[in-house]
Amino acid sequence: MQIFKQPKFHLMNYKVFAFVFSGIVIIAGIINITKGKGLTGGIDFTGGTLIQIRFKDPYPIAELRQAFPPEMGSPKIQRLDEEGEKEYIIRTSSPELETEQDEEAHEIMGNRIVDVLTKEEDRSALARGLADLNHIDTDELTSILLSSFPENAQEIASTIIRIRESDDLKGIIENYDQLLEAGIDQNVVDSLQEKTFLGSLAVKRRESVGPQVGSELKTRATQATVWALIGMLIYIGLRFKFAYGVAAILTLAHDVLFTLSIFSFTNREINLPVIAAILTIVGYSLNDTIVIFDRVRDNIKIMRKHHFEDILDTSINQTLSRTVITSGTTFLTVFALFIFGGEVINDFAFTMIIGVIIGTYSSIYQSCPLLFF
Amino acid sequence: MKKDLRWKVILVIIVIGLAIFLAYPPGEKIHLGLDLEGGMHLVLEVVTEDALSIETDQEILRLEDELKKKKLEYRTIAKEGITRFSIQEINPAQEREITDLLDDYFRDWDYSVMGSTVSVSLKPAAVNYLKDLSVRQAKETIQNRVDELGLAEPTIQRQGTGNRIIVELPGVENPDRIKNIIKTTALLEWRLVLGGPAPDQETLLQDLGGEIPSDAEVLKGDPERTEGGYYLVSKVAPVTGKDLINARRSVDEWNNPAVLFTLNAEAGRRFYKFTSDNLKKPLSIILDGKIQEVATIQDRIPDRGVIHGTFTVESAEDLALVLRAGPLPATVKYLEQRSIGPSLGKDSIRKGLSAMAIALILVIVFMIFYYRLSGFNAVAALTLNILIIMGILGYLGENAVLTLPGIAGIILTIGMAVDANVLVFERIREELSSGKNVWSSIASGFSRAFRTILDANMTTIIAAIFLFQFGTGPIRGFAVTLIIGITASMFTAVFVSRLIFDLTQSRKKKREKLSI
Repeated sequence: MQIFKQPKFHLMNYKVFAFVFSGIVIIAGIINITKGKGLTGGIDFTGGTLIQIRFKDPYPIAELRQAFPPEMGSPKIQRLDEEGEKEYIIRTSSPELETEQDEEAHEIMGNRIVDVLTKEEDRSALARGLADLNHIDTDELTSILLSSFPENAQEIASTIIRIRESDDLKGIIENYDQLLEAGIDQNVVDSLQEKTFLGSLAVKRRESVGPQVGSELKTRATQATVWALIGMLIYIGLRFKFAYGVAAILTLAHDVLFTLSIFSFTNREINLPVIAAILTIVGYSLNDTIVIFDRVRDNIKIMRKHHFEDILDTSINQTLSRTVITSGTTFLTVFALFIFGGEVINDFAFTMIIGVIIGTYSSIYQSCPLLFF
Repeated sequence: MKKDLRWKVILVIIVIGLAIFLAYPPGEKIHLGLDLEGGMHLVLEVVTEDALSIETDQEILRLEDELKKKKLEYRTIAKEGITRFSIQEINPAQEREITDLLDDYFRDWDYSVMGSTVSVSLKPAAVNYLKDLSVRQAKETIQNRVDELGLAEPTIQRQGTGNRIIVELPGVENPDRIKNIIKTTALLEWRLVLGGPAPDQETLLQDLGGEIPSDAEVLKGDPERTEGGYYLVSKVAPVTGKDLINARRSVDEWNNPAVLFTLNAEAGRRFYKFTSDNLKKPLSIILDGKIQEVATIQDRIPDRGVIHGTFTVESAEDLALVLRAGPLPATVKYLEQRSIGPSLGKDSIRKGLSAMAIALILVIVFMIFYYRLSGFNAVAALTLNILIIMGILGYLGENAVLTLPGIAGIILTIGMAVDANVLVFERIREELSSGKNVWSSIASGFSRAFRTILDANMTTIIAAIFLFQFGTGPIRGFAVTLIIGITASMFTAVFVSRLIFDLTQSRKKKREKLSI
């Protein structure tokens, strides 16, 4: 099977349209970045706190937004579960605290978020000396069970924690019956009901970065980007003539700016995985560009009598099925990652999807026309 | 079969065998990153100034002692900075004796005399040494505490020669508890109580004319352990946590959780004498500057005692743990922390693997649909590629952990590795359509595509190398799988794929049709 039998698209006829299109997106993006909404740096770069929390009982998102006092700024809240309103990611860059230059502001902020969301009944249960079964670890649970079940306290404790962390319960025990259903003995559950309570929330993920580390990570990300670009340029410079190198550089700048522009119009944050994705895209887009340039180089020798535009068109057409197929397979894989990969990797997958599309488009419509100049 | 083909087949079989051997069983051989296994990554900063300040305090006390012993006159010793103090209003006639004393017994200190004041400051070399020492001690103490916790495979590293310590603890179930245990300075002291408790500082100092005596200080009761309030306590601590040889959770006479401690022999004798001298006086137990307990000395205490207070079983256990592991030489601050609960880690593994499986199936279906039998060739190359990634990850073990971005790297490799196959197959199709026979189309397809494959993959590898260089944990995982995957794709898509064509086409040289 073949997608293109003998492709003869006069792709270069649309080059002006492509330049205008890219120009508009990039200029709009730059205006939006500098004068408008700007790019949102993730906590990796700005410093701040990210907490993924699961509640025992549904916590409506509207109520959650109201929960934080005004001096905490307005943390960004993202709902994760479709079925109920139980799992959220809460992010804050804690600007008020950072002005004090407190290196541990991110820690304090994280503790406050958890504190604000903790229900009063949890606090009173703790004050009565009960332990939060949704918070303690195997060691602590073992020491609680030790008096009633001296022989196999450790074994029971690790089973219970395993049940809590299983895919069914997702980190939080909602009621003691769930333990019975999972095969825990009635007398163990009775004893737990005496000595523990089921806390209203569980923190499943917590990332917090101090302002100092944040700015260091920013420096490192910038260094990685700059050095990677220089490395790729040197490689292009060694393998191709000067004009090709310049066209490749401009394409590369186009890809980065285009991606950042799209980011400026979404609510997504730039974090470390996104930088990694952008660099990968640059490599990937260059890869496409190189394949086409390789053909151009060959065809210049073969098609001596032809106009340069014809040579470009022929080269692009000859490599078109390859370009489409590779982009297609790569797109399929990153799309699978985007849909099925889960929340943690979602920003990365999103960037890759944009990047694959832009990279393919730019290697045809930016790098080749740029060879004219 | 031709001789050189036979060697190629043997090589590929060896590679397959080796990869399986290195990666099997994957649960043991391939190490998971904290984001998949669940666990905690902490970056701590040791506030080395603390250690310097403590050193200066102790040296001032020692100097006062020496000056008194030698009957040298001075009005006071004032601390003027973390590493500076001055001896004020000395007797000029004794200046020589004082400088001799400093020369002989305080060699780490520089001094200068201005009239009746001697300014003393810690030498830069000593400052550096003490800073370095405090970071090393802090690292050791944290190591001890983590060892006491009995966690599997902890890593505790100092970042270069600076004052940062990186702690990585896989499989942590309650990060808050571990964070507290690591951060507690755990400096335990027993000191006499001279006054209190009082609701505020003014009331406390009423009888003393509002001034704190020079040998005492005001401390607060720990609100979690005592009634709170302000106490006036002696500055001198006859026994501290450093004198402990053991501490463990126990119960007191009312069956409440408490911490039982044992002092070493020398401190035991000291404590016995001290309690004998101060019978019926109130004694406080102070942890990190907060009073935990105040009790009247009822009896002479030799080397064993109990710390009471409103403990829970867990908090008594944790206090005993940090006391056993010893105090930190300085406070530590958390600069960065990332913790992932076990349930989320498992969730990420499941989602990452299912995304990978779906990506693989999509690509396989596409390749076979599009390239027919030759598509199987590409699928074989792809499968071997993933096997090689697993094998190398297994071989590198702890040096290249598999992270969630790492799984993303493998998924991306699946999409990009077939690129090499696609380049070759498209070239072969072109050659076929230009009228060449199957055999020479395959040969020139491979040879003409090779340079392009190399050029195209190099740029991605360059990007990945710099990501590895500058990246942190999870991103490094991505760079690693991408580098391995793309490098392996050049072997699988060029060498292995060619071999498969050679094996399937070699005996039918006259064949005119190729399923591509």
